[in-house]
Amino acid sequence: MNETGPIGIIKKLVSFAVVGAVAFFVGYRIQGRYFSGRTPAQPIEFSHRIHAGDNKIPCMYCHLYADKSRVAGVPNVKRCMGCHAVIKTQSPEIQKLAAYWEKKEPVPWVKVHNLPDHVYFPHKRHIKAGLECQQCHGDVASMKRITRVSSLTMGWCLSCHTKRNVKNGRDCWTCHI
Amino acid sequence: MKRRDFLKYLGIGAGGLGAGFVLGKASNPPGAKLIPYLIPPEDVIPGVANWYAGVCTQCNAGCGTIVRVMEGRAKKIEGNPLHPVSRGKLCARGQASLQALYNPDRIKGPMRRISKGGDFTGISWEEGLEILSGNLAKLDKDAPGLYMLTPPLRGHLNSLVNGFMAAFGSPDYFQYELFQHRNLIAANRLSASLSEIPYYDIENTKFLLSFGADFSSTWLSPVNMSYGYGRMRQGGQGKRGRLVSVEPRMSLTGANADEWVPARPGTEGILALSMAYEIVSQGYYRGADGGAWKSVLARYRPAEAAKITDVGEERIKRIAREFAETRPSLAIGGECVASYENGVSGLVAVNVLNHVAGNMGIKGGVVPNSEGFVEGARRPDLKTDRISTLLKSASEGRVKALIVYNTNPLFTAPKALDAGGSLSKIPFIVSLSSFMDSTTAAADLILPSHTSLEDWGDDFAEPAVGTPVYTMNQPAVSPVFDTKGAGDILLAAARGAGGRVADRLKWNTFEAYLRESWQGLYKRNRAMASSAPTFDEFWSRTLQNGGWWQEAEEPRKRAVYVSASGAGPHLPQSPSRFEGDEKEYPFYLVLYPHAGHFDGRGANLPWLQETPDPMTSVVWGGWIEINPKTAGGLGVKEGDMVTVDSPSGRVQLPVYLYPGIRPDTVAMPIGQGHTEYGRYAKGRGSNPLDMVPAKEDGISGEIALNSTRVKITTSDMSGEMVKMEGSTKELGREIVQTVSPEEFEKMPKDAV
Repeated sequence: MNETGPIGIIKKLVSFAVVGAVAFFVGYRIQGRYFSGRTPAQPIEFSHRIHAGDNKIPCMYCHLYADKSRVAGVPNVKRCMGCHAVIKTQSPEIQKLAAYWEKKEPVPWVKVHNLPDHVYFPHKRHIKAGLECQQCHGDVASMKRITRVSSLTMGWCLSCHTKRNVKNGRDCWTCHI
Repeated sequence: MKRRDFLKYLGIGAGGLGAGFVLGKASNPPGAKLIPYLIPPEDVIPGVANWYAGVCTQCNAGCGTIVRVMEGRAKKIEGNPLHPVSRGKLCARGQASLQALYNPDRIKGPMRRISKGGDFTGISWEEGLEILSGNLAKLDKDAPGLYMLTPPLRGHLNSLVNGFMAAFGSPDYFQYELFQHRNLIAANRLSASLSEIPYYDIENTKFLLSFGADFSSTWLSPVNMSYGYGRMRQGGQGKRGRLVSVEPRMSLTGANADEWVPARPGTEGILALSMAYEIVSQGYYRGADGGAWKSVLARYRPAEAAKITDVGEERIKRIAREFAETRPSLAIGGECVASYENGVSGLVAVNVLNHVAGNMGIKGGVVPNSEGFVEGARRPDLKTDRISTLLKSASEGRVKALIVYNTNPLFTAPKALDAGGSLSKIPFIVSLSSFMDSTTAAADLILPSHTSLEDWGDDFAEPAVGTPVYTMNQPAVSPVFDTKGAGDILLAAARGAGGRVADRLKWNTFEAYLRESWQGLYKRNRAMASSAPTFDEFWSRTLQNGGWWQEAEEPRKRAVYVSASGAGPHLPQSPSRFEGDEKEYPFYLVLYPHAGHFDGRGANLPWLQETPDPMTSVVWGGWIEINPKTAGGLGVKEGDMVTVDSPSGRVQLPVYLYPGIRPDTVAMPIGQGHTEYGRYAKGRGSNPLDMVPAKEDGISGEIALNSTRVKITTSDMSGEMVKMEGSTKELGREIVQTVSPEEFEKMPKDAV
């Protein structure tokens, strides 16, 4: 380590670069693993634990397109107000909802499960295949604030497709159409 | 390791870690939003498409369409598989009508001109309708001077417009479009007593003789005919149908033909009659009036016709015999025979040829359509309802107010007619167009109407398919901009006018008018009435299917007779005349509708600009087709700019070397050269109509596109021609390998 002259300087610069690159990579992964908003704050502190857990409302009472469409559907504000026009109207969170309804504005929920545009993921097919919602979305009934439990990476998709021996399940065109 | 180095490593490490974290955060921005509906619309499931049936309005074929709509947005248009005209197919122009809906240069709301010659300013609909009603109220009760100009509408919008004009006591409802087929209508009325354009049954014919009818790109009903053509060539049983194409400039249809006959321009009608003469004189004609035909046709012996038409005598005789012997055969006459100043006579000649060969009223021949026109609608009177008549009235100051809807004479009428000068004499012009075309730019008030994807409407296809085809159009999407339906605008104007006019046009919406009119159809038409027990059910089924048509296996047969005494006086006496002295202007000018832009209306849709022309592969501009031999003589090469002069005007265009054209002829597509019409069309290429003389067919009033000669000189103007193809030559690469039928027969079967 006591070399001097041009070779020593080059060696030192290379090792700086290596350390810097490794640190950069580690920083990038730490951000992705622990700080990527798996449990983002929502405009209204909506609790799945109260709705799906305590009150045992079935998933598809609110996410009503899950077996009909690509998207499961987030409940329209009218549907929320259908109950909350009378239930717990004194709660500050429900008053926030009522305020949106008064202003005739939809609630700007923050997306938790977000797939890139080049992935075609139909809820409908997965429901038809007999999957439970919880298999991908986790034990939603116990979540106070919704959190993403699955990585939603391609490897994660493929591992399940392989395990369940899905027809054409490893074909590129099945998801990337 | 030195302490100094350790600290350096630590610093670099921490910096890298931080940078990685920050970049990771930045590249995965949090909070894509998940916006729910406030109140969910009916019939909408997010992520699932709804398909609405409608009718395409990009040309006059009347193809039934289905529009794919997701979350209220139209995404794709296809042919309606149930529809007998489009049969599940749609052409590029139909597909591109989506870009008309979302066009960034659409007029986004009503506008009024501040002062004569000044700019437009946006106004509200209330204000716009008030201006319209106010101007209409000012008109004299007895001689209103109210004029209306629309394209040749066929559905109930036509009858509403007609009712509107009648309520104002004005007879001056004009219908104009460049390719209106007035010649075809006139020829069929005169020679075959057919009031409608018949169905040309290409699908079931075995020998198709096309006189310049480019049905593969634009003629009459391209989708239906191209489908039929495919079946004729390879879909049926037995012999593969033959196609012979007579035209001075090889069109896409000509390029598909087995034989190309480049007759001299203006003599195609005479060529058809010389074939008819050969058929009659060789005894193929089965009618009792063979003698009468022989004497009528005696002037068109192949030997003389060969000199006039520049087609060999033996060739005429051979094609004639083949045409008569092959059963069934069919001759069709398109722009190349119809676009002359005696275009009607050329088309009568084609009818005569069909008659003497026995093709009238048979399957695989000319099949008459039963009358399907809307009650109360107006068909143009070929004598009086001409664009030239309208422009003359305007220049003489008789037009006090003009309402223009979706037709653009300032672009499509020859410059020699001076449509601009005539329209400038009209004190009040209202345009109901959704686009700032040249005519709309000359208006005083713009009340923009919906595109067909946003509006109610219907259409009665002409030609139909031997049985009537009633197509329904419903709004597939909510209006994108602040526009109204054309029918609704007229009804609102009538309400504003009050009195007698308001009483006669009492409907609140065009939808109500349409529904009531269809109720009348349902009551009168027995076949319609028996298709559904109640009108409500019939209506919803009609909306669902996209219209109503009979499922007739065999088209209804009706005798069609062409008599020698009836057709005789209307036959072409001599070749069509061309303006300009042959010495000074050595080339015939042939104009044809561009496959994508048609009469120019598609030029504002970038998809169509971007689509290479099927014959030349040129995109985003115009060109002139010159035979390579001629070009050699002129000393011009491909891409050079040339100046083209006719006695009536001048344009400048780049040269495209085209072997498929007679050396004494040059050709240009119509469609470019807009001075208005939005960012994609404006200032691109030149408009060959600038060179067309102000001539029309005397009988039908159709503009004679091919009626001038031109001269060509080199130009130092700079210009660019962009095309997809690198070279038209194979250069030994064997890209297209061919084998003749004879060789094919001899080939061992395992080789194919």
